[in-house]
Amino acid sequence: MAQITQTNGLFQQDDSARDRLNAVNACKRRFLRQDVTATLIVFAALVLVPQLPFVKGWMLSQASLAIIFIIAALGISILVGYTGLVSVGHGGFLAIGAYTSALLTKYYAVDLVVGIIAATLVSAFFGALLALVFLRLSGAFMAIGTLGFAFFVGTVVNNVPIFEGRDGILLDDNVVLGMEIGDFGFYYVSIVTLAVMTLFVYCIVNSGTGRAFMALRDSENAAMSSGVNRLLYRTLAFSISAGITGSAGALNAHIVNYVSAEVFADIWFSVDILMAVVVGGPALLFGPYLGGIFVVMLPFFLEELADFAFIMKGVVLILVLRFAQQGVGEVMFRPIQNYRRRKLMEAGGAKVD
Amino acid sequence: MTDAAQSPGSEHLRCENIRVSFGGVVACDNLSLTVPRGKIIGLIGPNGAGKTTLFNVLTRFQEFDSGHIYYEGRQIDNSRPHHMVHMGLSRTFQNINLFGNQTTMKNIMTGAHNLMGDPFSAMFWLPGARKREKEAEDRALEIADMLHLVPELESIVGTLPYGYQKRVELARALASKPSILLLDEPVAGCNDEETAELKDLVFKVNRQMGVSVLLVEHDMSMVMQVCDYIYVINFGANLAEGTPEEVRKNPDVIAAYLGDEEDQA
Ligand SMILES: Nc1ncnc2c1ncn2[C@@H]1O[C@H](COP(=O)(O)OP(=O)(O)OP(=O)(O)O)[C@@H](O)[C@H]1O
Ligand SMILES: [Mg+2]
Repeated sequence: MAQITQTNGLFQQDDSARDRLNAVNACKRRFLRQDVTATLIVFAALVLVPQLPFVKGWMLSQASLAIIFIIAALGISILVGYTGLVSVGHGGFLAIGAYTSALLTKYYAVDLVVGIIAATLVSAFFGALLALVFLRLSGAFMAIGTLGFAFFVGTVVNNVPIFEGRDGILLDDNVVLGMEIGDFGFYYVSIVTLAVMTLFVYCIVNSGTGRAFMALRDSENAAMSSGVNRLLYRTLAFSISAGITGSAGALNAHIVNYVSAEVFADIWFSVDILMAVVVGGPALLFGPYLGGIFVVMLPFFLEELADFAFIMKGVVLILVLRFAQQGVGEVMFRPIQNYRRRKLMEAGGAKVD
Repeated sequence: MTDAAQSPGSEHLRCENIRVSFGGVVACDNLSLTVPRGKIIGLIGPNGAGKTTLFNVLTRFQEFDSGHIYYEGRQIDNSRPHHMVHMGLSRTFQNINLFGNQTTMKNIMTGAHNLMGDPFSAMFWLPGARKREKEAEDRALEIADMLHLVPELESIVGTLPYGYQKRVELARALASKPSILLLDEPVAGCNDEETAELKDLVFKVNRQMGVSVLLVEHDMSMVMQVCDYIYVINFGANLAEGTPEEVRKNPDVIAAYLGDEEDQA
């Protein structure tokens, strides 16, 4: 949130103070609107990507991958941004989602849409189950616990025959509502999934349920005295978070119609998702968009130096944690915010520091 | 609940022989008190007497070694802190506990969590949940108006002065539509004007809305003016009880407070 330093005079109850306060408050409300507007702009841009004349196949699959990361990051933002819990193992839920949809479409020939929904629900189920384990741990131990979970999923995928380990499972072409869809069709399935999940996160955050999450994040005592059941709401947050990330996993399985342990047992997935949300802005709707695109696009901008992407990401992460703890998204909004605040406060006759 | 349990003057909240020790320190030593329905009960005592500890026991934030707690005659020894507000018991904290980087409005709205219904209909914005949300918003505005917080509704509470934060906390406690309110030093750090206002407000909440109140407060003028009955504790034990008049004249109480002043001098 933008911090506005208020002069003491602002708190006198005369009318001019009231005007000035209203100006400040109007400015703060705009901050929320900026978040939604920025999100809608990037979303619209993503919708238009396939229409652009110069977009080639690899660009489209890269954009699909960005969407997948945005969805996964939206999922983890529920946990990290709004509930104040850290998971270093969300790649595990990505894998659960991927294999759920892969196995269902392969062996039961279900529709891609059914696969995605099933992946969401199965991941959400495991999220709730694992929350009961993780939530007994505190702080760093919980982070290590989630990391252990990701390793565990990797081990299972590598060794249990049905997952076919590093050989992987080759999937048939994607079918939606009985029709085979190509790259463009798949892209729009991803876009629709993104739209649904974004709307979902928006609804949660702007509801009593979201307030309960944020209450637990900001003060456990105040939350409990307001009647928030800590275990119930944290489990719910974990479950929702896992479910959303699981839907991203399903998309990731069908993007190249191939799932293998090589891809899904990779712990860096977990790190990348977490990083996307921390860099973009954990408690912003726009944060996962920014972070997801950043994580996917960085290797491309580095071109032949792509091997150094990990180092670059590390550097960026350190810079963000040092200089922009609310994420780059918040920093991006700040100049507009400051400009508006200045104008509004001048209008209200206040001194601006 | 039976009608008898709901009638004015009947026992609302009661504790019996509560004992709490922190290692060697006995913070509460066989403390008993009763809050009758619809009354304002004061709980006073010198610094470190054990008031906050007893408060935390009553609101189930603090475990205790022995004794019992009853709410409307029902034993609640095993209730958890988050159960209390659902029964109708709401509290504030001596050291302010707020959602510091959220707005005043959000803080008050969170106080109405017990009226929100189930988390699923809330997060899917189902019609019933939206209706309850709207009602909670209206109520939050009403309470904010009552506490003169309207201009600060969209301010981040962490940036507000202390007196304001105290009021936001009270507003949050009121948002749950409590039938009993436990206030731990609500006017500490407030100026005279704010104190007078809060005093009126506690009185109004009690007399007009029928909310029972347990008030811990060092501001003697407030305690003496608003309380129907006062319990005095010292060194974790019941020292005296009675009407404000009786307590004021009680030699033990005078001695305890004079002793306290000598300690501080
Ligand atoms: N968590 C704790 N651990 C150890 N000792 C504690 C703890 N909480 C309170 N105490 C001790 O218990 C005694 C009672 O403290 P309590 O906070 O209940 O007093 P109080 O009556 O609220 O005082 P004040 O008027 O200063 O708020 C004090 O001696 C205090 O030091
Ligand atoms: Mg105290």
